[in-house]
Amino acid sequence: MRNRATQYLSKPKVRQSWSKWNLYNLSRARIKSPMHRTHFQQKWDAKSATRAYHGEQVSEKQWARMFSPRLRSVVPMNPVIMARDDGSKWSAGRGQGRETIMDLRQHAKPVPFGQATYAPLERRLDVAVFRAMFASSARQARQFVIHGAVTVNGKKMRYPGYLLNPGDLFQVEPERVMFATGAPKDKHDRREIRHAQKKEAAEKEAAEKAAAEEEAATEESKEEEETKEKQQENLSPRATLRKLLGQAKTILTKDQAVLPAKRKQDLRGFQKAVRRVLSRSESSTVLTDNLEAQFSELTLLLKAKKRPSKKTEEEVKAEETTPAESSATATDATDATDATKATKATETTPREAIKAASEADSEAQPDDELSEAFRQAAQNPERDVDTSLLSEEQFNILRRALVQMRDNPIDHSKPYATPWRPRDYMNCFATIPRYLEVHPKVCAAVYLRHPVVRPGASEIPSPFATSTGDLAFTWYLRRR
Amino acid sequence: MAPRIQNPIGSNSLLPYLSSSSTSSSFTPLSSRSQRSCRSFSSTIVPQTRLRNQMFLWLQHQAAELKHHKPGSTNYLSQIIPGSLFPESRPFPQNIHYRSESILSEELRREIHHRVVVRKKSVRAVSVELKVDMRRVAAVVRLVELEKRMTQEGKPLALPYARAIHEMVPTTPLYDQELRAHEEINDLPVHRLTNPQIFYPVSESRQFNRVDAGRVFSAAPALEQEQAAKDAADDSEFISRITQNPSHIEVVGKGEDEHQVLQPADVRIPHPHMISSRRAQNLVPQERTEHPKIYRAHLQKAEEAEQERKRRSEERKGKQTQRVQPEDSRFEFRINDVVVSQETTGKDGRNARAPGRRYGVPSYDRKKGQVKIPTRVEV
Repeated sequence: MRNRATQYLSKPKVRQSWSKWNLYNLSRARIKSPMHRTHFQQKWDAKSATRAYHGEQVSEKQWARMFSPRLRSVVPMNPVIMARDDGSKWSAGRGQGRETIMDLRQHAKPVPFGQATYAPLERRLDVAVFRAMFASSARQARQFVIHGAVTVNGKKMRYPGYLLNPGDLFQVEPERVMFATGAPKDKHDRREIRHAQKKEAAEKEAAEKAAAEEEAATEESKEEEETKEKQQENLSPRATLRKLLGQAKTILTKDQAVLPAKRKQDLRGFQKAVRRVLSRSESSTVLTDNLEAQFSELTLLLKAKKRPSKKTEEEVKAEETTPAESSATATDATDATDATKATKATETTPREAIKAASEADSEAQPDDELSEAFRQAAQNPERDVDTSLLSEEQFNILRRALVQMRDNPIDHSKPYATPWRPRDYMNCFATIPRYLEVHPKVCAAVYLRHPVVRPGASEIPSPFATSTGDLAFTWYLRRR
Repeated sequence: MAPRIQNPIGSNSLLPYLSSSSTSSSFTPLSSRSQRSCRSFSSTIVPQTRLRNQMFLWLQHQAAELKHHKPGSTNYLSQIIPGSLFPESRPFPQNIHYRSESILSEELRREIHHRVVVRKKSVRAVSVELKVDMRRVAAVVRLVELEKRMTQEGKPLALPYARAIHEMVPTTPLYDQELRAHEEINDLPVHRLTNPQIFYPVSESRQFNRVDAGRVFSAAPALEQEQAAKDAADDSEFISRITQNPSHIEVVGKGEDEHQVLQPADVRIPHPHMISSRRAQNLVPQERTEHPKIYRAHLQKAEEAEQERKRRSEERKGKQTQRVQPEDSRFEFRINDVVVSQETTGKDGRNARAPGRRYGVPSYDRKKGQVKIPTRVEV
C-alpha cells in the first residue's frame, strides 16, 4: 500500500501522528471558508479533510462499507431525579412539560452527532493501538500489528483491520512501545553502539580462534576417553550436550557483569564447540560414538569454568545481604535479577559520568555532595554509601535517582535513547479516550465499549469541529 | 508513583539521573544546531523552502514550550493559542467537544483491584462506591492481574513509559470520589426506536409516564388499567421483575418486525437498584439512619439475582455441551449438538449461521474478495 500519510506543508492535512510536522499542520490547518463554496463543495472539503485524519490507511471503498448512518449516543441519567417522579411531569400541561421543565430543557446541551461519523473506525485494532498511546502514529500501529507485536486476548493478531469487540484485551510488546514513544538516539548514542559492535566482533574473532584450538585438543584426546565415558551417563549424548550448552548460556547471561573478559571468551568458545558437535551429530549418526567421548571432556571444561563464576555469584549474594539496610541501593536491590540489572546499569554509568564531567562547565551543577554520593553508589553498589553529609531531602532524591536508574537504565543495545524519555511534542497529543481502559505499565488496554457521543461532549478524538463532521456525514449518506 | 526526576539532555548536569528540578528551562534548543551541522564545510546556503523555514521558526519560538511535557499538567497546543477556552483539557483547538478526560490514577486502580479481589465486593457495588463504570472496574481487575502475572514471570514492564503517561494525561486521584466522579455511571444508551418524533395526543386527565412513552415508541397497545396501577404501586418490584428476567419482556410486531417493547429508562440504566432504593428511601424521609440499610438491601437483591441468572445460564450451557477428556490427553473436547432450526437458518432458511450444506444456499467461502479476518478471539 502506498503511504499517503506524508506531511505536506503546502496543503496542510492533519494526520493520526505525533510528529512535529503534524503539530505544525494542526496549528494552521483550516477548512476553506464556506462563504463562496457550493453545498457540494463544502461536503467535499469536509470529507477530504476528515478522511485524511480518520482511517487514512483504510481505502475509501472499505470505509464506505463500514459507515453506518446510525450514530451511537448516550444520555447520562440521574437516579435521584428519576426517583422523584415517573416522568408524567414532562407530559403535563400541553404535552411539552411545565414551564420549570422548559427551563431545564433550555440548559440541556445539544449532542454533537457530527463527531460520531467516524466512530466505526475506532473499532479497528490499529487505530485502537494508536489511541491507547502505544504507537506514535496509526501507520506505526499498523506496522506493529502486521509484524506480530500485538496480541488480542493473549493470541497473536496480525490483521490491522480486526474489529475489536467490547471486552477485548489487546497488548503490545513493551519494547516496541518504548521504541515508538521514546526519544530517538542522538549521534553520541549511535557512536557508542558502533564501538560496542566493533568490540564484539573482535571478541568473536578471538573466540573463534580459541574454539579452533579447543577443537584440535578434543580430537586428540578423543581416543583416550572413549573407554571411561560409557558408564558415566545414561542420558543420550545429544541431550546431555544440549543441557551443557544451556548451562553455559545461563552462566554467561547471568553473570555478564561479574565474569572477567577472559572467562567470557573461554565460555563462548566452549559454547561454540558444543554447537559444532551438535550440528555434526545431526547430519550423521556415525559420529555419535565419538560424541560421548567428547562430551565428557567438555564437562570437565565446563566444571573448571563454572567454579570461579559460581564463587563470584556467591560473593555478590553475600555482599548484597551484608551491607547496612540504610544504604539506598540495598533497599532497592530486593531480588537477584534486580541486582544484576543494577550492576549492568552501573557498569555503564561511571563511564558516562566521567564523559559528562569532562564536558561539563562548572555552572548548573547539582549539589556536590549529592552527586558524589550518587557516583559512589553507582560505581560500587555493593559498598555502603556515605550518606552522612546528605540532608533528608537529598537522601530522598538520591534514593529516587537510584530507583530510576534501576528501572530506566542506560543500555546502548536498545533502539531508543537511554535512559528512556518521551519523544518531543508527544505531550501535545497525549490523551486517552474513555472507551479504552489503558494500563501503560504492561502496555495493555481493554476496549470497553463502542465510542459514543453525549450531550455537549464526544469521546472520539478528532481535530475537527462538529459542523465539519456533520458535512462529512451527509457526504457519506450518499444523497449528494 | 513517585514523581519522576527529569533528565534533560542538553544541560551540563554531571549525571543523567540527577539534575535540578526545574525542567523546561534547562533544555537547549537542538534544532538550530542540527540544521547547520550537516554541511559544515559548504559555504552555500542550505536550500530550505519558505514554508520549512516558517515551520522551524514556529517550533523554536511559539511552540518552544510544547516540546517537553510538564509533569502534573497537560501541555496541549490550545495553550499557546490566545483566547481558547479550557486550553488545559482540549488537545484539538478547533474541536470544542472533545475533552482530554482523566484516566485512573495508580492508587485508584489498586483500590479497585483490592476491593474486588481481596474484599470480595461485587463489581456493581465497587462501581457505585468509586463512581467508575462497571465495565471499567472489570477491565481494571483483568489488567492488574495481567500485570501481576507478568512480574511473576519476570517479563519486562514499561515503567518509565507508564510514569511519563501518568504525568502527561490528567488522572483521577483516589479519595476524591465524593467531590468529583471519575465518570457517569448511569448512562442510558439512546434506543433506535426513540429516534422518530411521534405526535401522540393524550387526554389531560391521564398520567402519561415513561412506561407509556416506551409503549408508544414501540407501537405497543396501552397497558391495561389494573396492570398499570399495579406497576405504579410497587415500582421496585416492577424494576426487579424486568431487570432479572430480560427474556420475559413483552414482544410486539409480526415476522421481521417482531421486537420487544421498549422499557422505561428506570430499568435500562446500568444501576436500576439506585432508583428503586432511592424511592424506598423517599417513603421514609425522616429516618435517615435507615437509608443505608435500604440501599444495601436493594443492592444485595440485585446482586443475588445476577448470580442466579449467571448460574442458570451456565447450567443451560453445561447441559448442551458434552465434555470428553481422554486419558493422558492435553485436550478436552466439547461437543455441541447441531441445531438447524428457524433461529439459526433464519426465516428464509438461507442464514449463513446455520451449519451444514443446505439446498440452494451457496458458500461463498472460496470466492474472490471474501474477508477472512476473524471476527472474535475466544480466550
